[in-house]
Amino acid sequence: MQIREPIRVAVVFGPGRVIKPVWFDWHNRKHAVLETTYTWSDSKGSSKRLHFAVRDEGGLYELTYDTVEQTWELSGLEGG
Amino acid sequence: MAERIILHIDMNAFFASVEQQANPELKGKPIAVIGRGRTVVTTASYEARAFGVKTGMNSWQAKQACPQVVFVIGDNRKYTHTSSEIMKMMGDYTPLVEVFSIDEAWLDVTGSLAMFGSAENIAGLLKARIKHRFGITCSVGIAPNKLLAKLASEMKKPDGLTIIRPEEVSRILEHLPVQELCGVGRKTEQQLLMMGIRSCGELGRYPLQRLTRTFGIIGERLQQMGKGQDDSPVVPVENQQEVKSVGHSMTLERDISSRRDMEKYLLQLAEMVGRRARRYNVAGKTVHLTVRYADFSTVGRQQSRKSPANQSAEIFKEAISILDSMEISQPIRLLGIRITNLCYQRQQLPLFAEERRKVLATCAMDAVNDRFGSFAVTYGSVLDNSGKGSFVISPAWRPEGIRSVEVE
Repeated sequence: MQIREPIRVAVVFGPGRVIKPVWFDWHNRKHAVLETTYTWSDSKGSSKRLHFAVRDEGGLYELTYDTVEQTWELSGLEGG
Repeated sequence: MAERIILHIDMNAFFASVEQQANPELKGKPIAVIGRGRTVVTTASYEARAFGVKTGMNSWQAKQACPQVVFVIGDNRKYTHTSSEIMKMMGDYTPLVEVFSIDEAWLDVTGSLAMFGSAENIAGLLKARIKHRFGITCSVGIAPNKLLAKLASEMKKPDGLTIIRPEEVSRILEHLPVQELCGVGRKTEQQLLMMGIRSCGELGRYPLQRLTRTFGIIGERLQQMGKGQDDSPVVPVENQQEVKSVGHSMTLERDISSRRDMEKYLLQLAEMVGRRARRYNVAGKTVHLTVRYADFSTVGRQQSRKSPANQSAEIFKEAISILDSMEISQPIRLLGIRITNLCYQRQQLPLFAEERRKVLATCAMDAVNDRFGSFAVTYGSVLDNSGKGSFVISPAWRPEGIRSVEVE
């Protein structure tokens, strides 16, 4: 299911340009990320966007980081 | 020619494997990847294949074959990203990488052995890196040429590593059915069968004169294939011949019959083709229109212009003129526009003010779309089209250059 909502995300920027989402707020609930299952990137115009498929205890979510705007978005949801 | 060592890498059930990796719930389950709005299976996982689910089946047939199959809507951006990263990894072992499709490539590692030891070692390293980075597997074939390397990679799936050594070629090919060879399609296979040729061994021994009489110049190539000979080089994308066409096609979310619908989708396609042509500074003298009807029958027509075009409005006008010359006999499921007879490095502002204004307006539109993404600014008539952009990874897709289409 597509969502496309701006959200608040806590992230660890590690060495080697590793970006690891740790938790995100959605619908007044804090979702702890248990696992990042897949990452990929694409571009929209001149913006490079990084996509993270993450799993919490209830479902699978797609978080998207716009590297130019420096914004996070919940792009999609499976289960939950 | 000195003996070469060629690797062929084939990602196993690529789209389905990526989806299973991205969603752990799908691991080990029979899944089928389908396109948005349509129901044709583009790839099935090995678990689904075990039940007989195949690429090209519709969802009803897939469900008949495997009632528990899970349908997953494909995400082309995930696949193009993964493919590009894997192709980059291959470049760490040799500069001679030829991308065959989104999930297949050849590597000529003849000159890399001093650094990496052996072809098996390179294959092992690549397989391990792909598995570690993306969690997916591939099959690798190692052989003295591209034809045999591809054949070898097909022999063990999934996660295979097969070597065909020069001294084993004739034994392996002797009883191998001709349709196993890359380049022998169903039509050629049937013609060969009519000549009494079933196996590669028989093809290799068949009199050249008789093959040439039936197949023309291809006859000699077919005989060489039967013998396992292939001198074609591994050609990296930067050395490939100039692209000969720029095109887009789209399977529509629903079949259309009204003239208005046809026009708005053709305008959208003309804009996609024109924008890509302008980005790579090419223009085409011939415009082709492809129409596929609801019953899957396909017709194509072309029309040439006096001067090459890459302005969307000009391409659209030409496509409409072709459409007017066709008799549309039933609802349409697919439309495609392609420009050919390309001329490169076309950069000239028109002499007359009105034409010049159109070109400058297009440049401004392109600049906005380059900044904010395709169709951020577009023609009003295409605004309500259900899906704008390219939803299909064409077999011609390449990770770089004019063939690198941004898919939705």
